[in-house]
Amino acid sequence: MTVVPAQQSGGGGGSSGLYDVLELVLDRGLVIDAFVRVSLVGIEILKIDVRVVVASVDTYLRFAEACNRLDLEAGPRKSPGLPDIVGEITESGARGKSKGALSGAADTISDAFKQAREEGEAEPRRARKTTASRRKEEE
Amino acid sequence: MSTYVYGIAASSHPALPEDMGGVGDPARQVRVLKEGGLAAIVSDAPEGLRPKRNDLLAHQNVLSEAGAGGAVLPMRFGSVAPDDEAVTGVLAERADHYLERLKALDGRVEYNIKATHNEEAVLHRVMAESPEIRAFTEANRQAGGGTYEDRLRLGEMVAAAVQNLEAEDAAVVRRELEPAAEAATVGPESTGWIANVSFLVDRGTAEAFLAAVEEVRTGHPELELRVNGPLPPYSFVEPGPSEPAETGQRLEAG
Repeated sequence: MTVVPAQQSGGGGGSSGLYDVLELVLDRGLVIDAFVRVSLVGIEILKIDVRVVVASVDTYLRFAEACNRLDLEAGPRKSPGLPDIVGEITESGARGKSKGALSGAADTISDAFKQAREEGEAEPRRARKTTASRRKEEE
Repeated sequence: MSTYVYGIAASSHPALPEDMGGVGDPARQVRVLKEGGLAAIVSDAPEGLRPKRNDLLAHQNVLSEAGAGGAVLPMRFGSVAPDDEAVTGVLAERADHYLERLKALDGRVEYNIKATHNEEAVLHRVMAESPEIRAFTEANRQAGGGTYEDRLRLGEMVAAAVQNLEAEDAAVVRRELEPAAEAATVGPESTGWIANVSFLVDRGTAEAFLAAVEEVRTGHPELELRVNGPLPPYSFVEPGPSEPAETGQRLEAG
């Protein structure tokens, strides 16, 4: 279980679970029409339906491959490799969707997500992700 | 100087956050504006505020801190008033509504549950439940993997079955946890999870809710659940009363 830290620890840490609550911070909560809201241009990037990502040729081929390799004799068990796979689908999906339509703000927010996700989810993958965000900055 | 608003609480809130860092770089100091029975948690609004990670985090941290001490209505990120007077003006004008919401949410917190699938477990289930997919897989395997078209077709079938299971399991999450909560609401859809549901839970029964989460985990090995909470009740604040009508337009000037 992840408990969102009540206090920010120094040095940009303390973001455990931030990725998981970002969409609540950005998309839920009280809105008062008398107040201006900071521009969240590009925030649509958060709302890509996961099912859109599933329905792609890449995914089909990957599923076929996975089934091919699946050992039916072994019962369902936890696959340590899974979080990586899920992460990849998510990212390539988001990247594909965001191409062209992105403004600077969108980059900011998706980077924020990416960063938060890195820290909140998988420590060892940091190096690889950094490459991905660099590529993104070229836009 | 415009004013950034984090949330609204009762002025009797025992531990309103002050002197902690808020949004901006350097972090603007959090202050409290009181008006009647209400208090707004605010700070100066930095110029050119954008939804950067540190600012989102600061927003969330201030509200976590406030929420830990008592009921708070969290604002959505990025709410900026022209000045302090505009904030207290809104508090005065809509006091009844905010007091009612604070009362309704008193002692309650939000737990957000995000569910993902353990792919291997899901594929096992898909294979076990569909003789067609099983046969197709076997045929491909014997043909050394199958042609590109065969693989594509198999993959498409599997993807459809996986999607069905996702919908099924998303319903399971809500159905099985709802009885342990006071309210439930579906969160924004996005990549990376098959279900995203927020539950309003009484602090006193949080243990029971978390136990229910454990039960879902045990009963559905293909489901991986991420629990975030206790959170300020972002998903349960409801919009203000009669939004477009009176108050809205009149105050829109800023």
